[in-house]
Formats: sequence, C-alpha cells, structure tokens
Amino acid sequence: MTTLVRPPRIGTKTPLVDGIEKVTGRAKFTADLPAADALVGKILRSPVAHGLLRSVDTSAAERLPGVVAVVTGDDCAVPFGVLPIARTEYPLAREKVRYRGEPVAAVAAVDEETALEALKLIVLEIEPLPVYVDPAKARAADAVLLHDNKPNNIERAVHSAFGDLEAGLAAADLVRKRRFSFAEVNHAHLEPNATLAEYDPERGWLTLHSTTQVPYYVHLTVAQCLEMDTSRVRVIKPFLGGGFGARTEALGFEVIAALLARKAGGTVRLLLSREETFLCHRGRPQADIVLELGMMRDGRLTACVAECTQRGGAYAGYGIITILYAGALLHGLYDIPAIKYDGWRVYTNTPPCGAMRGHGTVDMRAAFEALLDEMAEELGLDPFEVRRRNLLTAPTTTLMAQKVMSYGLGECLDRVEQASGWKERRKSMPPGRGLGLACSHFVSGTSTPKHWTGEPHAVINLKLDFDGGVTVLTGASDIGQGSSTIAAQVVGEVLGCDLGRIRVVSTDSALTPKDNGSYSSRVTFMVGNAAIAAAETLKRILVEAAAKKLEAAPEDIECGDEVFRVVHAQEPGQDSGLSFGDVVREALIDTGTITVKGTFTCPKEFQGDKAIRGSAIGASMGFSYAAQVAEVSVDPVTAKVTVHKVWVAADVGRALNPLAVEGQVQGAVWMGLGQALSEETRFDDGRGLATNLLDYRVPTMAESPDVAVFIVESIDPNGPFGAKEASEGALAGAVGAVMNAVAAATGVRPTATPLTPDRVADLMDAKERQAAAKGSTP
Amino acid sequence: MTLMPAFRLHRPDTLAEAVAALAETPGGKPLAGGTDLLVNIRRGMADPPALVDLTNVGGLDDLVVSEAGLRLGATVTLAHIAEDEGIRAGWPALAAAAEAVAGPTHREAATLAGNLCQETRCIFVNQSEWWRAGNGFCLKIEGDVCHVVKKSLRCYAVYAGDVAPVLMVLGAEAEILGPAGTRRLALASFFHEEGRSHLALAPGEIVTAVHVPPPNGAVAGYAKVRVREAIDFPLAGVAVALRREGDRLASVTVALTGVASAPVLVPGLDRLAGTTWSEDSAKTLTDAVRKSCNAVKTTVTTPNYRRRVAAASAVRLAGDLWAAAGEGNAS
Repeated sequence: MTTLVRPPRIGTKTPLVDGIEKVTGRAKFTADLPAADALVGKILRSPVAHGLLRSVDTSAAERLPGVVAVVTGDDCAVPFGVLPIARTEYPLAREKVRYRGEPVAAVAAVDEETALEALKLIVLEIEPLPVYVDPAKARAADAVLLHDNKPNNIERAVHSAFGDLEAGLAAADLVRKRRFSFAEVNHAHLEPNATLAEYDPERGWLTLHSTTQVPYYVHLTVAQCLEMDTSRVRVIKPFLGGGFGARTEALGFEVIAALLARKAGGTVRLLLSREETFLCHRGRPQADIVLELGMMRDGRLTACVAECTQRGGAYAGYGIITILYAGALLHGLYDIPAIKYDGWRVYTNTPPCGAMRGHGTVDMRAAFEALLDEMAEELGLDPFEVRRRNLLTAPTTTLMAQKVMSYGLGECLDRVEQASGWKERRKSMPPGRGLGLACSHFVSGTSTPKHWTGEPHAVINLKLDFDGGVTVLTGASDIGQGSSTIAAQVVGEVLGCDLGRIRVVSTDSALTPKDNGSYSSRVTFMVGNAAIAAAETLKRILVEAAAKKLEAAPEDIECGDEVFRVVHAQEPGQDSGLSFGDVVREALIDTGTITVKGTFTCPKEFQGDKAIRGSAIGASMGFSYAAQVAEVSVDPVTAKVTVHKVWVAADVGRALNPLAVEGQVQGAVWMGLGQALSEETRFDDGRGLATNLLDYRVPTMAESPDVAVFIVESIDPNGPFGAKEASEGALAGAVGAVMNAVAAATGVRPTATPLTPDRVADLMDAKERQAAAKGSTP
Repeated sequence: MTLMPAFRLHRPDTLAEAVAALAETPGGKPLAGGTDLLVNIRRGMADPPALVDLTNVGGLDDLVVSEAGLRLGATVTLAHIAEDEGIRAGWPALAAAAEAVAGPTHREAATLAGNLCQETRCIFVNQSEWWRAGNGFCLKIEGDVCHVVKKSLRCYAVYAGDVAPVLMVLGAEAEILGPAGTRRLALASFFHEEGRSHLALAPGEIVTAVHVPPPNGAVAGYAKVRVREAIDFPLAGVAVALRREGDRLASVTVALTGVASAPVLVPGLDRLAGTTWSEDSAKTLTDAVRKSCNAVKTTVTTPNYRRRVAAASAVRLAGDLWAAAGEGNAS
C-alpha cells in the first residue's frame, strides 16, 4: 500500500493534533482537573528499607478532626503486578516492607495540612531485617529472602543457547571478554504521578483520572484490588507529561487513591511529590554484564556469550520481561551464528525497577557495541566495516524465531558515516576529542499481550455523523509521542479527507475501545493498522454511497482530497464529483449515524516459537534500526565529557509523521545521552540519595547537543503504510556511541556508566599509571 | 508541593524597619529572591517565625560603578551582575561567577546577598523531612549525629556559593547593618568553617551591600566544576586573581568553594610572589589548594575527585590568567 492520496496525509510533517493545548497551557493534566470538593490524599511511607511490619497504629490519625479515611495494608489483601505470573506487590505493605519509601498507610483529609498532620500520628512498628542493595549480597547463601518463594532472592534466571557456541569460539581469530556495569536510571518524566479518584457511593461506581500509559491495566488492577466488577470502574487518562515506561503498569498509588475514595465515599486527589515519583521508580535496573565475543580477522562475528545480572528492586513488576529482553535482543541486529545468554533478575531492597524506553536491551546493547569497537580496533578494522560485515539480509528469521521483514541498518550506517564526515575526520581529531559509532534496534510492539484474552491486539472505532465529522475513538494513550496524531493521519490518508474533519477522542474506558496501552512501541504499528482497517471499512461505505448517487459501480469510484468521482469520467469538467459532505448525507440515508470498527491481530507466526522458551519476548512484527555517531571531547583537567553533536539515522519503516519521528528519535538519543553522561540513582544503605532533580542529573539544555536525524524508510511489509516504531530504537546506540567516542578521545575504554567526571578521571588516572608502569620497565 | 509552614511576613520600606522587624522576632529571616530559603522552608529545613521581605526597600538593588570601585546593593540580582556592562568590563570574573549560578530563571530572582549567605548543603540534609526523619535527622537540623563523618561534633555541610570566592580574591567587603549600626567586614572574614554557623552575622544583622575595590591591574577568573553546565552547585569552584609585572608574578590570591563549609582563601601562596609562573609554581599551588580543601562525603561525587579537580582547575586558571596578563603587557 504505497500509493498515497494527494496531498498525502502521511509522510508530511504534521504538527501534533493536541499540540495547541500544550503550548498554550490550556491542556489539563491530572493535577489540574477541577474537583473543588476533593479530599487531599497523602501516603505514609516506610522509613525502613527491609523489615517485618509488626503494627500500623492509625487510631490517633483517625481521631484527628478533618480526617475522613485512613487505609492500611488491612484494606487490601489482593496483590497486584503487571504480569499475571508475578503479582507480588500490595498497594499498602502487609507483614513486610521491602524498600525504603514503600507505602504503608494513607489518609484522606479535608486539606493538605490535616492530611500531613494525620500521617505524623500514625505509629509504625517495624522490626528491621538486613538491607540488600548489592545483588551479590542479596544472592548470598545466608541472605534473608525478600519473598519466601524465591531462593537466593533470584526472581528469575534465564538460560538460553543457540547455535554451536564452542565451534564459533574455536573458529574465531580473536576472542575477548569484558565486564561492564551500568548504573540504574529513572525516567524522570516531568509530570509527577497523580490520581483523581471519584467514588459514587450510591451507584458503587469508581472513576479514576490517572497519570498512566496503560489505562486498561489500571482498570483491571484497581477492580481486582478493590474486588469490584470492572463495569463499575471507569478510567480516563488526561493529558500526560511523559511516561517513558514508568507508567506502563498500574502503580500502587492508583490503587491507594481508589481505596481512599471508596472508604471516604467521595473524591480524593492524590498528588505525589517529585521524591515520591522517584520512589515509585520502575526505571532501568543497575546491570552487571559479562560479555564475550568471537570475531574473525575480517570482522565477522562467530559467537556471543552474554551474562546479565539485574538489580530488580523489591517487587517483580516487569522484571521477568526485562531480563528476557536483555537476551532476546542480542538477536536481530547482527547476523551471529551462536548466542548464549544467562540472565539473573535479583530482588533487592530498592524501589522496584520496571520498563524503561529501550526496555531490557539498552545496557546489553551498549556493552556489545563497546566490545565490538574494541575488537575492531585490535584487528585494525574500521568500526563501520566491522558492523557492515555482520549485517542481516531481510527477510530472515533469527535463532530466536524473530522475523525480520525489513532491515535498513546498512543504509543507516551509510547515512551517518557520510554525515559525520567519519572517514575524513576520524583520524584527524585533536587530542581529547573523538567520534564513536554504535547501532541499536527495537521491537515495534510485542506480539504477545501480557494478558491473554483472545481479543485483537488493537481496536479502533470511527463515528461519522450528519455534520460530516469523523471521530476517531481510540484507547491508545497519547503520552506525548503523538499517537493521536498518527491515528488522525492514517484515517485521513485512507479517506482522503482533511485532518480538520477528524477529531480524536482517546483513553476513556466509557467511550473508547480498549487498548493495551502505550508500551513496547506497539501503538503506531498495531493501532495504526487497526485504524487503516476501520477507515477502509468506512471508505467502502462512502464509496458505495457515492456510486449510488453517481450511478456508477463502486469499483469505478475514486476518492481523494475530499472529492468522490467516477474514475476516467468521459469528459473532464462534466464530472466535478461529489463533495465529502454530499457523500456523507447520501450514506446516512436510512442508516443514520455510522459507526465502524477496525481491528488488528498479530499473526501467530510473529509470536515466537513455542519450541523456544522465552521467545515470546522480543517477538515482534517489525524491528526498527538505528546507527549513530557521537562526537565528544573530554576535558583534560576536569575529565568532563561533552557531547558536541550526534548524527543518527533511524530506519522507521516509513515516517508517517516525519516531524514526530524526528522529535522521537532526538528524544531517544537525548535520553541515552543522559544515561551515558550523568544520570544515576544512588543508594546509601537503602536510602535513595538522588530522589530529586538536583542530584538525579538529567541533562539540561546546556548538555543537549545538536542531534541531526536522518530518516531511513525500509517500508515494512506489515507496518501501517510500511511504518515501524520510531521512539525507542535509537536510545541504546546513544550510550554505546558515547562510550566509543570517549574511548577514541582518551584512549581508554569505559566499561561503566554514567561517564561522570569522577569516573572518567579514574579511568584516565588508571591509564596514566599503566603508562608510567610500562615506561619504568624497559 | 509541600505546604509552607505558617510565618509572619514583614514587607518594610526601609532598612531601619527591616532590622527592627528582625530584632523583634528572633529566628526571623531576611527574604529577597527566595531561591534558597523558600526551598529549604518547604522541605522543612527551616521554620522561621518571620520573614522580612527586602524587595520593597528602596535603593537596596542599586549597582554603582565608580572610580572607587563597585558598590552592589544586597538585592541586586545575579542576572543583573552577570549582564551589567560595567561589571563585565572591570570585574569579568564576578560577572562570570554570577552567570555560573543555577539557571537563568533562578538568576532573575536570586540576589547577591542571598547568594553570599546561602545555606550550606549536604546530601544528608537537602532532603525531604520524611527522608531526614527516617535517617534520625543530623547535626545540622534537629539531630545530634553526623552521617558524613561519624562521631563528628561539627557539621561538614558544604558551602556552595559561586560568587563569594570571587569577591574574596577581589578583596571585597560586606556592608552589614544591625541593631548596633553599620559595620564593614572583609569577605575573607565573613565566613566560618562550620556547616551550622558559617556566617559571621550577629542576630538581627543583614548584609546591605558589597564593596569591590578597583581591579588595580589584577586579572581574575572563576572556574566552576560541575556535572551539568546549568542548575548544578559546584563540585569545586576556584577563583584566582593575579597581578603580573613583566615576567614576575606580583601577587596571586586563590579562593575555593564547594570543598569546605565556608569559601576558603587559600593560604601559603605568598611565596609565589616575585617568581615566574612555572611547573614549580603549579606544584606549589596544587599542594596549597589540596591542603585547603576540607571535602568529605557531602555530595554524590567523591571527595577525592573534588579535591583533585579543585587543584587542577586552580592551576589551569592561574596559568591562563598569567598568559592573558602577559598578552596584556605586550600590547
């Protein structure tokens, strides 16, 4: 489907349909929603990182005038967790606390002052247990278990091996093994977490407005935890100030707000502070990686052996998926004949990790790209050449049963090699300055939903009425990535109508069809395809109406740019065709308002191979690819790394909205730069030290270099108009490219991130010491 | 957002009224830009019974450049200092230091005296009340232990102002008004190396102005080391002023910030006077700076790095200023 309407609604830079509200400040985010009589909710959090919760005495708080409801672990005995096989967490702790900051009790009061006063009146009795921040200590034989059913505090061990590993390593001309450590990072989405919960005691109805990427999961989780029928719950996602994976699972605070509202019999507004938002975490876990690669003299990879230990935090969350992804996405970027992966997800007394942009792949990919570079250098190969030597040829199926249908990595490499002036500039960089290359990839939607229901992966409803307006009803969560705009563009493209005719109504469970949510970069691919299906159905209805009116056969009707006319009309000028409004009026005769539906279901062959354990993770219908070059300098005095420019080429299949694609790719690179340069959560014996935006160092404008984006369009056979994802694929490459550029600038190869000045200073010192030692021995 | 506790707000029109208001409420605090104080109050790190808003006092934000030097009113904003042509021409290090503070919106609100008198900082202090309560508080506020230096009887919270070290090497004086009248105090004597009581201000006293003498042939600079080029407090900050006469260093003064509970005027540099800048001078400076650092684990960045980078930055800055002064002589 490559013939587009003229002018095309896709492929042209299109401002986001909800952009005006955002830039004018009219957009209402959850905390802005008017609710004059709302009670103020506040959460009491455990000051202890690990302990037995002996008692929670709320009697004094309950007696405080102005306190309307107090809830504790006793108010909810139903555990939650995004994975049905790992529901390990209670909204309010019961029996045990497992991280410092875990909610223990909550109050709803007439105002903030009273609510805060009430928290001070709650008495906790907690018997401390040993605190494990380091996964190695948590795994020790004598360590106290965080969860009784998980020996050695290992939440999940993953072991997989494909191909003839021994032969691969034996055949290699060069085998190198390195140890890497990547610090834990947080999404640092700018809008703090918030929920407005309204309980209607007469009807027994609960309405939630919440800061989520997955209103459907929030709906299910709240109904489960409150033991309510799902039909009595309504979940609405207002404008959202970012997510990046932090909100791809229902979080405890959402359930707490609901518990408070029900107990209070009214409306509760629960706004979390920045610190509390950090404590909800769900970020990318600290990862220790051991990676071994085998390589032929010409750069051809022969084998890959990878180990990954992730510090998962206190609860499961998405942890099993994360540790699986780290191995699964060793596949699908390069052609590697043998891959072995061992992963361990470890429970620790830190806030639970979760999904974060580039889920699971980022640290492993950065390590891989760093080692690939090091080995290329040792063999005297250009970093571009060594990557080209290992390209896949699409279509192909990886060892892990992933189907790669389109593959633009080669072109991505060409584009950034040329744009960065790599060949001419690389060898002539002044001291302390260097270029680094890295590649990366990501899925366009995970093929298997977390909750298997047998439903399609995506559903879109369209409503067309007397006014000629088309309303797109979608459950897809626009979290700033532009999904509502994509839905409007796709529908407009199929119908050939103005975007001004199309309104998108999204994420209100009472109005819009269910959507699994905005995660794993599934929305453009899956919802886009569903939108095409819905629009095609609507178009058929309109074409039939036009045919009837024009007394022609439907197959002879063409529609485009708001005009329906007979193809090859005898005399031009005689047939000016019918306007969109004329056709709508015709179509509504006898039927009235038209509603149609489109669905998308991912075929079985793209859902992994049942014979390969864990292959459902990393299975996708389309993989995005990216290559990027970073130019950095390292200050010889402060050891500070400055990124001067990044050239990134992204294969997004087809850029439905090049404006949004550019922004998303820049955002991915920038987020990767933050991880590479400065972002890091810190713990002191379980105490989060960097739970604020001063000590958790997200790059500022001053650290944000020009990121030149080159769009590569491989036109994926399954994607909507050939599109794949565009928001996550480039992230991991940014980390690897900076590590490699720092190596080029300093002559030392970093094996840990973030590359803060103190870390780089240590690296440079070690190099000097080494050089001095060499110099002193003749 | 955490609620502000209750306090009485005074908004006097004159300095006399301001001092009187402070005198009548012990523990009251002067307020101008509020970029330090209000954040700390919201975090429960201060609970003053009264705030005395100085923004209505006429003339307190006057900035006067004259042959006698510079007179900066207490509430001159950092943005004003950073952008003022007279300061950029005559005291560029001061403009640079002001421009290095936080971000543009902070600098629009933040004032000179507020910056000088800012609270000391520590990773165990600049946290929410819940955080500190769960950690048993500490010496600085409400507690009796130090989490940085175990068993310490003094507080090691670090002074992190950018402007003070520059004013020190420029030989500035603070003009102070209190119940007992006006006094002037060299910036070098304005601070104590103690995290809880780092200012030499008596109860009820406020800084009303800062006087900076003419440069008198000295060149000065400020180097701020931080992870991010905006927002961040200094991991180490170094101000250097030197006077070069031909191939001889007539004088050099160095002050540090971010490495102790007060900005530190580095002692022991007299012996560099009369010498030519060399590797030996660099070594002398390195040793002197490292000795002056009292950096401990008050930030997420290691004390070792902060000490080393303070010394290395001082050497680079001094070398650059020496070279720049040489070019000036040649022309």
